[in-house]
Amino acid sequence: MAQNFSCLGAAELRRGLLAKEYSATEVARDALFRVRALDGAVHAFLETTEELALSQAAALDAAVAEGRGAELGPLAGVPVAFKDNMNLAGTHTTCSSNMLRNYVSPYTATCVQRMLDAGALGLGKLNMDEFAFGSSTETSAFGPTCNPWDVERVPGGSSGGSAAAVAAGLACVTLGSDTGGSIRQPGSFCGLVAVKPTYGVVSRYGVVAFGSSLDQVGPFARSVEDAALAMNALAGRDPLDCTSQAVDADFTANLAEGVRGMRVGVVPAFMEAQGLAPEVRAKVQEAADHLRKLGAEIVEVDLPNAQAAMSAYYVLGPCEAFSNLARFDSVRYGYCDPGHADLGAQYEASRHRGFGPEARRRIMLGSYLLSSGVYETYYYPAQQVRTLITQDYARAYEQVDVILAPVAPRTAFRFGEVTDPTSMYLSDMFTISINIAGNGGMSMPAGLGADTGLPVGVQLIAPQFKDENMLRAAAALETVYGPAPVAPAFAPGAAAPIGAEADIPDAAQAVPGVDLPGGPWQQDAGVAGDQDVPDDARGQIAVAEGAAEQA
Amino acid sequence: MRKLEEVLEDWEAVIGLEIHAELTTLETKMFCGCKLEFGAAPNTHTCPVCLGMPGALPVPNKAAIESIVLAGLATNCDIEKRSMFYRKNYMYPDMAKNFQTTQGPVAFCMRGHLDLAVDGPAAKERYRLDKLAPGDVDGNITRTESGYVAHVGITRIHMEEDAGKMVHLGGGEGRIAGATHSLVDYNRAGTPLIELVTEPDLRTPEEARLFMQKLRQIYLAIGISDCSMEEGSLRCDGNVSLRRRGATEFGTKTELKNMNSFKNLHDGLAYEICRQAEVLEEGGQIYQETRHWDPSKKCTIVMRVKETADDYRLFPEPDLAPYDLSDEFIEGVRAKLPELPDEKAARYEADFALSAYDARHLVEHRVTANFFEACMEAAGADAAKLAKPAANLIINDVTAQMNADAAFDLDACALTPARAVELVQLVSDETISSKQAKEVLSAVLAEDADPAAIVEARGMKQVSDAGAIEAVVDAVIAANPDKVAQYQGGKTGLIGFFVGQCMKEMKGQGNPKLINELLAKKLG
Repeated sequence: MAQNFSCLGAAELRRGLLAKEYSATEVARDALFRVRALDGAVHAFLETTEELALSQAAALDAAVAEGRGAELGPLAGVPVAFKDNMNLAGTHTTCSSNMLRNYVSPYTATCVQRMLDAGALGLGKLNMDEFAFGSSTETSAFGPTCNPWDVERVPGGSSGGSAAAVAAGLACVTLGSDTGGSIRQPGSFCGLVAVKPTYGVVSRYGVVAFGSSLDQVGPFARSVEDAALAMNALAGRDPLDCTSQAVDADFTANLAEGVRGMRVGVVPAFMEAQGLAPEVRAKVQEAADHLRKLGAEIVEVDLPNAQAAMSAYYVLGPCEAFSNLARFDSVRYGYCDPGHADLGAQYEASRHRGFGPEARRRIMLGSYLLSSGVYETYYYPAQQVRTLITQDYARAYEQVDVILAPVAPRTAFRFGEVTDPTSMYLSDMFTISINIAGNGGMSMPAGLGADTGLPVGVQLIAPQFKDENMLRAAAALETVYGPAPVAPAFAPGAAAPIGAEADIPDAAQAVPGVDLPGGPWQQDAGVAGDQDVPDDARGQIAVAEGAAEQA
Repeated sequence: MRKLEEVLEDWEAVIGLEIHAELTTLETKMFCGCKLEFGAAPNTHTCPVCLGMPGALPVPNKAAIESIVLAGLATNCDIEKRSMFYRKNYMYPDMAKNFQTTQGPVAFCMRGHLDLAVDGPAAKERYRLDKLAPGDVDGNITRTESGYVAHVGITRIHMEEDAGKMVHLGGGEGRIAGATHSLVDYNRAGTPLIELVTEPDLRTPEEARLFMQKLRQIYLAIGISDCSMEEGSLRCDGNVSLRRRGATEFGTKTELKNMNSFKNLHDGLAYEICRQAEVLEEGGQIYQETRHWDPSKKCTIVMRVKETADDYRLFPEPDLAPYDLSDEFIEGVRAKLPELPDEKAARYEADFALSAYDARHLVEHRVTANFFEACMEAAGADAAKLAKPAANLIINDVTAQMNADAAFDLDACALTPARAVELVQLVSDETISSKQAKEVLSAVLAEDADPAAIVEARGMKQVSDAGAIEAVVDAVIAANPDKVAQYQGGKTGLIGFFVGQCMKEMKGQGNPKLINELLAKKLG
């Protein structure tokens, strides 16, 4: 009975709707059915939003029935899902952390709203590394997500759920966020078109912050066109995010232009980097050869300071994370460890138990790096490095229109294979400098690695606010490699993988028990004990008993 | 404890102020669109941004930036074209994000100053002012005829957001100690706040009070805040340390809080200076600590000991780009700068030949200054002649009325500028005495009638008939032979008694000038 609409492309889905070959409601039901049937094998979803998807679908169907088909948005009827650090009113936004296990969003992130406004059908929320700290989705408090290409391997991270959902054909497009490689690396591991736009292209409003100066939202898709359509919906100034910029590009406009006359940079230092797997290096060289054959000019460029990006990142990222995560204090929402007599003890226990080890590590690191006497030694030089790297890229783009590089040093690894933090951090060695500089970067599937037989992505890096350049080069590569397939075990017609039947909570059930209506308050574990709050104080927020002593 | 005057003989007090003003005249908060409103039901003016909900981002309020630039221009500050917001990290439930958005080393306004005219009783606290002659300069002060002018440096004015308000229940008097519940109202969270920090240039509690008063006048004149010390929209912390007269090193300072009126500011600082002197004179040590002024007990008590400097882990706010102010923006704000109190006072001195004292008091309140100007307009050709009596009427009688009755609204009361001019005109042409004028003023306010009509109706005209006055003078002299003898024996102060007796006889309608002249002549 399944029609596997989620395995189709966005343009095809919209065409079918307009041609009345099927209804949006059929698409939504089928997509939700596919999630319930198959997600058990990958664990990409943390929650589904059946009511939202069906009501969106009903509105689209009404528009078609009333002859208002022309009004349908560019993503009309496209099944989509969102990383669980993106707020969607009425759904949990957990960041895959026990800290926010019961937190229900009182509002919707701009990026999510723009996808819905473009007609997309919101299926639910996706697993991730806790607060986006990680490169494997193994730090999720709700268990890891599996790579649909080999369920014994990680999907990459931190946007592992977003990547796995598209690779398994559980959604057509998903959104992820990328602070050091968290879209591109899972994109490479799962063989997808995965775009981290230039910083400022997509609003961050409503996306739970990790590193505010590094975070950027972008799409996962199986074709360059789908990714470009999503970019069109997402990009542009948002009055609620003052770091967002006006963008007037149509990202689909030059996809068919080819790369003739384009200058493509390659960075010798990247290609010779220690730790770069031969099969990945081979794929990057192969992609360069294809681009040359398609008419591009390949130019060697130098990024002399890029090797310092990792060091700068592990200063700036934790510093911003330390401050961004300070709000999770057990007082107004989030996990509250019960029974503490004073505020200090409640803070300490709640944060100790609410955050996982990697989150605690980054908070401790940031707290140390920002402390007086240390700040001057690390934070300030890291900002100087940032300036140097930004200048490196700017200089390189005087010679080229786009840079071609590896995404991840290797293909997807097995669960538990990479355990020490430093090795895990090296997963992002080719992606981090792009976040530091603020440029756009994307992972483009280049087939399977010769040694592991797993997907390998190549990275295309654009000048700032020229994200259309990398999409254009990606579209050219797509003519060679073809659109990204759904992972074989999940492709239509394949036998259901082992453990496929999923039991995913629905967002509609999230609201009861949560004191949401009437105000933006979460009453989950927020109040220590069961004290009676005097009547005349209603409307104010109860803080732990003995908050007093803390002053 | 010794008295302040004695303490200041031996010790030099070094005082710096940190003055927070909420930009209450704005419509919305600093980083979100929530309404600014004092006294609304708790947590009704809140949104994901000011509640620090996950994912929310700040967007600065442009009007708030205009306000702080206006404040900087009005206090002679340099306006920094490029400044940044910073995050000040500390955990407390009144700050939803657990960091306060504030500014770093470079604030919007840097390096300003105000000149304070200190005279009358206020000048008495200044150490050895009598050793200086007018025009003499001693440190940051210049001696004047009536007192001195103190040049007080302003380090900076920076922009920040206010915290929410905590209410503690179950303890005594809403205090933290012994409370069983603490509640937070986030309506105030995110209120735009500007903090002015002075250089440690103040030396007496009076100077501190005058600085605060002057700053309040300026903020009111430029319209950026309602400056209510009672409601907390204008708050002042004082840093105080002592050093021996002649010493150059600073002593250890304490920070004083809860000085929520001009009187409390003065008295709190005065107490703290005396307390520190006593501790030091007994061989004790001053600890760097925060102290709370208790106006009912008239003492300061320790709130918090700062053993080490707080580490706020200040770093640039990544969600807010560096703020670049264009010349165009700054000049646009400058164009909105109204006439400031000092400029207004100087104009009154020049145009109406008022004394510096009168001019300064007229401009203390915007309403009295406006009223005075309306009077001068109503006086037309007589403006020059009536300026001084009109100023007196406003500074003495009208101000007394305003002080006595908080609800008194000069703009809406029965005393219109035209009536005020009519009233002083009646005194000026000797139709009524200045004593009668007070009665007429009360009648104007009570009956909403013109002064001339009141004088007419009550038959209050002043008696300037020399014959009639002479008869009364003679009668009074005849009735008080003992007093006459005393007067002639040298107690000339008794002249007041005789004038009073004559006035009483004449029901207050006698021309005091004539009475005085006749008495002086006859008592000889």
